[in-house]
Order: sequence, then structure tokens, then C-alpha cells
Amino acid sequence: MRTLLALVVAFVIALLLGISSAWYMIDRGIPLTTTRVGPWSSWMSEANLNADPYTKAHLARSGRLPITSTTARYFTARTDSDGRALTSACEYSIQGAALNARWWSIALYDDQGSVIKNPSERYSFNSEDAIRHSDGTYRISLAAHARPENWLPSGDGPEHKLMLMLRIYGPRETDADGIGQIPDDRLPKIERIACS
Amino acid sequence: MQLRIPVLFILLCLVLAGLIHIAAVLTLPTLAPKDAWARLKPLGPANTMIPIPPASPGKSVLPMMGPDVRYAICRFDLANGPVRLKATVPDDLWLIAFYTPKGENFYTVSGADMRRGQLDLIIATADQPVAEAGVDAPEEADQVAVVTSPFKEGVAVIRAPVVGPSRARRAEEALKGTSCAPHRNKPAEPQEQSEPSEPPTGTAN
Repeated sequence: MRTLLALVVAFVIALLLGISSAWYMIDRGIPLTTTRVGPWSSWMSEANLNADPYTKAHLARSGRLPITSTTARYFTARTDSDGRALTSACEYSIQGAALNARWWSIALYDDQGSVIKNPSERYSFNSEDAIRHSDGTYRISLAAHARPENWLPSGDGPEHKLMLMLRIYGPRETDADGIGQIPDDRLPKIERIACS
Repeated sequence: MQLRIPVLFILLCLVLAGLIHIAAVLTLPTLAPKDAWARLKPLGPANTMIPIPPASPGKSVLPMMGPDVRYAICRFDLANGPVRLKATVPDDLWLIAFYTPKGENFYTVSGADMRRGQLDLIIATADQPVAEAGVDAPEEADQVAVVTSPFKEGVAVIRAPVVGPSRARRAEEALKGTSCAPHRNKPAEPQEQSEPSEPPTGTAN
């Protein structure tokens, strides 16, 4: 009887442990599958025919259809540079430098991956339409209400979580495997300015 | 004895947890009900170019689509022979990516790779000979490339980045000028095996 009980308890513990570790490795990734730079994370072998099972599971669950890292790089951020979750209740300043690529874009989503309703229908800034300084740097204000320069509206209404995606098409620097390389210091900083 | 039971117990937990972990990771891709393929299939028939409505609040065919990218897809089915994809590519930024039903990107070509902005591709499986030479005017023949698909089904996605709301219409118009349709080989004498397609860009990592 005690053996049976121990088996049941072991099974329940194993179920919790197995599922939660699988969920974490599929949803967030580990250093083997993802690169992390500050708040940004990127799945290295996303969409590859010979990707590892974690990356394959991540892709299937996400519903996305990304291009492999030799042609495009995708970086997502769910937190600011200090690790605090991005939320519509706060205002952020995104500061970035020029990227050596054919085209790039920073887009804002809610946690369902949908763009956020706003009267100016502004959902992203890209290498062609962001106002940039003479040295190639730029500043994007992530805020509910209008800001000067590049204003990316985070929407009014009830507080919601935010997610940023930086997509880089045709990165010009590549490593030996042809994977597009983005130097760490080129990825934008996300600074929290104020919260309401 | 009092000590050995917990050790055994912990070991049992860990082994079971490992098995459950592996099972969960391996079965998830086949169980995921809303992967990209499942979202794209209801949009329309195979072997037709289908423009995807641009992402708008609460409405997006695929999650996290680029709001400043216009997409068109061709879900190809090679059961009845190769499929041909044609487009006039207006700028270097366009990307044409080919995927398996599981979302694996086996080939990508960019606007910058194309001569004279003309895209002309035949999608075929490895065992479908494509008599590509002479299917069109000779001056075009050198531009017909064959993309070998690892499976009978898949999807081609054209991405047209836009540079501001005013230019979105231009990208949408250009996508309308693309076509995707079954490709009929000339009933000519058997030709030698077509040239191998360009090496896929996405196999290196």
C-alpha cells in the first residue's frame, strides 16, 4: 500500500517537473537554443529543417512562419533592459543604433501577438520611416499618449502586457555558418521612463 | 533503509520526469492545433497566390506578422506536377521563402538576388523532372530556377516590406501581380535532368 502511494506521488511529482521543464524550455528557451542580449531573445535555428526538438516545438506552438537566421533575424523582448515586464501602464524609451542590414523594423504587440489599436494606426517603426539622428541612432517612445520624434502608441484602455519584435532582413555581417550577426551593442536599449 | 527509500524515490521521480519531458517536447509539434499551416490552409485553395490581409488590431492571420510587411502566400500541392511562381519584384527588399507544412524554411530568395527583377521559379519534388529549358522565350530561360521541395506540399511566402503607410498600397499592388499556378511540361521528348536548383540558403545552421 505504501509502495503504491509512493508510486502515485512520484508520478504526480514527475508530471509537474516534466511538463514545467518542457514548457520553460519550449516557451523561453535555454542558451543552447536561444541567444539573449539584454531584454532581447532570439531562437537561433528557428525554421531550420534540422532544428532541435525544442526549437521545432517552439515554432509549432507559436504559429509563426519565420525565415531562417541566414536571411533574417528576429529578436523579441517582453521586458525592459532592467528585466521588468513591459506593460502599457509604463512609458519607455527605446534607443538603438544603426543596424548593418537591408531592412529592419521594430513592431509592438500585445501578449497575443496582435498589434495594438491606436488612432494613428502606427504599429511599428522601420529603417525607412523612423526619424534618425545624423549618427544613425534613433529613439522611439513607447507610450500611451503622443510623444515627439518616433511615437509608438501602447494603447489606452485597460493595462496590458507588451511585446516588441525587432525583425532584421538581410543582415550583412554573417558568421562561418552564414548566420546573420548582430553585434550586442547594436540591439536597442529599452529604458523605463515612468509608470502611471 | 530509512535513507535509501528517499534516494530511490527521488531517482524514480527524476527518471519519470525525464520521460514525460521528452514525450511532451516530441509530441507537441504534431499536437499544436494552431501552427502556421493550420492557420494558412483555410485561406483558400492550393496553387493560387493569396494576399494576406495586413495585420490589424485583434486580426492577424499569423501571430506577430510584420505590420509594415505585406504578405502573399501560395500553398503548393505538387501531387499533380510542379507549380510555377512568377512575379515582377519591384525592389531589393522582397523575400520569397519556401516552407514545409511544419514551417521549416527550406529555401529563400531575395529581390536582390534576382536579375532584372523578374522572379520565375518552378517548385518540384526531387522525383519530378522539370523540362525547364524552352518553356518560355529563350532570353528568359536562364532565369527559370527550380526549387526542390522536400515534400509534396508546402507554402511559399512573399514578403514585401513597406516604408510607410503611403507606400503600403504600392506593395499591395505589386503583390497582386504575382502568380502561382500548376506548371505544365511541354510534351516534348524526354530531356536531360534539369539543372540542380541553387543551394538552399537555410541549411547552414
